[in-house]
Amino acid sequence: MADKELTVSQAFRSVGQPLSQIDSAGKTTGLTQYLQDLSVPGMLHGSIVRSTIPHGLIRKIDTSQAERLPGVRAIITAKDCPGVLFGPQKPEDWEILCQDRVRYIGDEVAAVAATSPEVAKEAAQLVRIEYEELPAVYDPFEAMKPGAAVLWEQHPDNIAYRFFIERGDVDEALAQADHVFEHDFYTGRFYHAPMEPIGCIVQYQADGSYTMWGPTHVPFRSRMTYSKGLGVSMAKIRIIVPPFGGSFGMKYELNVNCIAAVLAKKCGRPLKFFYSREEDISAGHPRMGLHFHFRLGINRDGRFVGKEARVVGTGGARTFWTPPVLSTACYRIDGLYHFQNVRTEGLLVYTNQSPATCFRGFGNAEALTAFETFIDEVGEKIGIDPVQLRRMNSVKSGDLTLHGWNIVSCGYQECLDRAEEVSGFRDRNQPPKVPPRRVVVRGIGLAGGNHISGNRVIIDEFDGSSAQVRVGFDGQVDVIVGDPDIGQGMNTVFAQIAAEVLGLDPTSVRSLPVDTLISPHGIGTLGSRGTTIVGRAVQLAAEDARAKIVTLAAEMLGMEPGRVEFQGGNASVAKDGNRRVSMREIGTEYSTRHGGAYLVGNGDFTPPTEFPDASKYGNLSAAYVFGVHVAEVEVDTETGAVRVVNYWAVHDSGTVINPSTATGQVHGGVAQGISSALTEEVLVKDGLVTNPNFLDYRIPGFQDIPEMHVEFVETQDPYGPFGAKSIGESSLNPAASAVCNAIYNAVGVRVHQTPVTPERLWKLMETARQGEGKK
Amino acid sequence: MLVQLKVNGRDVAAEITPAMSLASCLRTELGLTGTKLSCEVGECGSCTVLLDGKPVTSCLVPAAQTAGRSVETVEGLASDGSLHPLQEAFIKLNAVQCGFCIPGMIMAAKAALEKNANPTPEEVRFILSGNLCRCTGYQKIVEAVLLAAQEMRDHG
Repeated sequence: MADKELTVSQAFRSVGQPLSQIDSAGKTTGLTQYLQDLSVPGMLHGSIVRSTIPHGLIRKIDTSQAERLPGVRAIITAKDCPGVLFGPQKPEDWEILCQDRVRYIGDEVAAVAATSPEVAKEAAQLVRIEYEELPAVYDPFEAMKPGAAVLWEQHPDNIAYRFFIERGDVDEALAQADHVFEHDFYTGRFYHAPMEPIGCIVQYQADGSYTMWGPTHVPFRSRMTYSKGLGVSMAKIRIIVPPFGGSFGMKYELNVNCIAAVLAKKCGRPLKFFYSREEDISAGHPRMGLHFHFRLGINRDGRFVGKEARVVGTGGARTFWTPPVLSTACYRIDGLYHFQNVRTEGLLVYTNQSPATCFRGFGNAEALTAFETFIDEVGEKIGIDPVQLRRMNSVKSGDLTLHGWNIVSCGYQECLDRAEEVSGFRDRNQPPKVPPRRVVVRGIGLAGGNHISGNRVIIDEFDGSSAQVRVGFDGQVDVIVGDPDIGQGMNTVFAQIAAEVLGLDPTSVRSLPVDTLISPHGIGTLGSRGTTIVGRAVQLAAEDARAKIVTLAAEMLGMEPGRVEFQGGNASVAKDGNRRVSMREIGTEYSTRHGGAYLVGNGDFTPPTEFPDASKYGNLSAAYVFGVHVAEVEVDTETGAVRVVNYWAVHDSGTVINPSTATGQVHGGVAQGISSALTEEVLVKDGLVTNPNFLDYRIPGFQDIPEMHVEFVETQDPYGPFGAKSIGESSLNPAASAVCNAIYNAVGVRVHQTPVTPERLWKLMETARQGEGKK
Repeated sequence: MLVQLKVNGRDVAAEITPAMSLASCLRTELGLTGTKLSCEVGECGSCTVLLDGKPVTSCLVPAAQTAGRSVETVEGLASDGSLHPLQEAFIKLNAVQCGFCIPGMIMAAKAALEKNANPTPEEVRFILSGNLCRCTGYQKIVEAVLLAAQEMRDHG
């Protein structure tokens, strides 16, 4: 257990402490109530009638048999729905229920409300749908060819969204470069696999409003999406967010909330949907498959001079959060290396599969998997150490990148240095040999990555966050934000931030659950923005509360405000010899003077970001983060099976507010990255998911993940609270490429596709052996 | 049909259907929602409870087969207002993120430590390999189980 959890800045009292998550007592005793555990009096249960064909016209829906089943209360089809196209991104292509056409196996055609989940499911199976089948298309390159099946007539080429960015003169740069290398890579369709599947409870109210319970990263943004679909104002939608049973990007806006709303209104009863695991995998919303093609111009000295890229995403039949994922996959990496001249085209393609959405890493993890394996190969070909190649070309503190991103602080060089040192990478990175048979060989691989800490383009109108820090009548200090803790420990970090400002014991501070009716407006918990952007608003709110407390405490103590101090670790806030007032006395005095009102500090933070111009130039994020991972693998050359046996991760996340939870983020991100590299892929045959359960879709277990050695290097960044940046997504980003590079180091074959299953690797090794035999 | 069993040391009776699983019986008939359902095919371990002291995935055990038997769930672990050493250790070391797998994880770990009070890290990983977690990458869970084992040896 050799983790070196760096405790930064000893001058802080709460910040930098490895505090336990403030809500973990409920989670270990079984008392925490997740959506699965919640019910509302009078609640019915819903089930969705899903398409059994990949593409076709709906000719007839017969609900008569289902309606006769005892316990069935209502059945809805598109006729019961407002019928507008809506959705969280453009193009807006969601229907609450399919109007006249289905576009994937699992598409939502009708829904049943019944007295129990079992009856609802049985009734759903009794709904008879007649289709006129249409040709279907699953491969994005096939889908773009003339004559392919068309999913949406508005998009005759099946291209849902096109991304393009160009800076400098790539053609000239590549023509002049000493070398030009090309590289193709495909990252497979990957399932988030939160331990709690998708679900919601929806209640319709007499005033025409809807109350929705369910985990979502983006409760306020969800109101925008659902209000359009349901044809009501945002104020008519209240979203209450219970504790998350995992998400990793899956639970943003989900159409099931709108289906439940229509059904709840029709029944006049609250209603719960809760997906089975099979439904969650096969009709849910995985990370999309992405094809990358790179051309890289590089000079003899190792300097990058130009990069051309094409990225093609298999979006599925409708558009969730895939357009910004595709954009990110196209150009986030330009904030890690100086390519000088770039041109990237991205195409998001409709196919007859369930709609994909975002996953932790948001396209950048996939792009890094493709590019960091490429750098390794390029370095070897031109005879420059790939780590040195990264050092030479990467961004540094103070750089302005070619897309206008201000890299205020960058610890990438330090991460590279430290990762090489702690893993012994330099000495152990020996050139590979063609693998002999029937042996287990080891290899080591290194990869880097970057990410953002908040993103300007999540909502068009604004960037930033707001928060309140409230002192109650009884002195209880609460943090109130509109961005939910998604299980990663963000509320604990907020408590630590507020406690730091107010000189409190952080375990005495609460962070309240999010309810859109009463919480401050927030963009949500995504884009690795929680600690940096929301946390900064919490810090400012705590400082505002502190100023009010100082004024009041000075009056109560009869002293100058400038002499009030906060110390003692718990309730004492002011000290003058033996004179103190506790937080309880402050809270009571404030309420007594103000008609019972609580003392409230308000904070809002607008980061120094810029909405990109038409050419996509503009600083996207307040702070950029960096990390370097080293994986050591064992490859069985007889079977192609790969095991990761050692792992090192070094991250620049600025000031680490909580080294224990931050390290936990890295552990979880690495585990997901390892399995995205080796095992996990949603398999689709003729539109049908063929591995929709945890036996066939295997997420890693205890014996698949090695002990990990995690370190943080410290950089100073001005915008986040106490200099904090982010870790949630950067923790995952380099992992898959580190594993792929280690496989090359072990057996001398380059992989161009993840996951690297035993079968795929065995074939690559066999080809290499045959090639060797012919020499 | 009515089934009588012992849950967390107390005699209880529950009205069940023939197809009902022990997990559903605990959650819906007895109100013990600490036991989680995640895959419902015995692959993830989230619903692990102890049946006559042995860990079972309660989604696969018919409730009807538990008549007269003894079931221990996560709700039965803390006693007299104090947490079990496993719960203490999981909290202390942040072995909990979203927490959905944790009740099953802790029950499986309890059974494991009753069989082997002084496991190595490799043994912990082997014994708990039937329980899946998506958040933690397992490392802090292994550390927490080892810490709890130490506590239980020292103070048990």
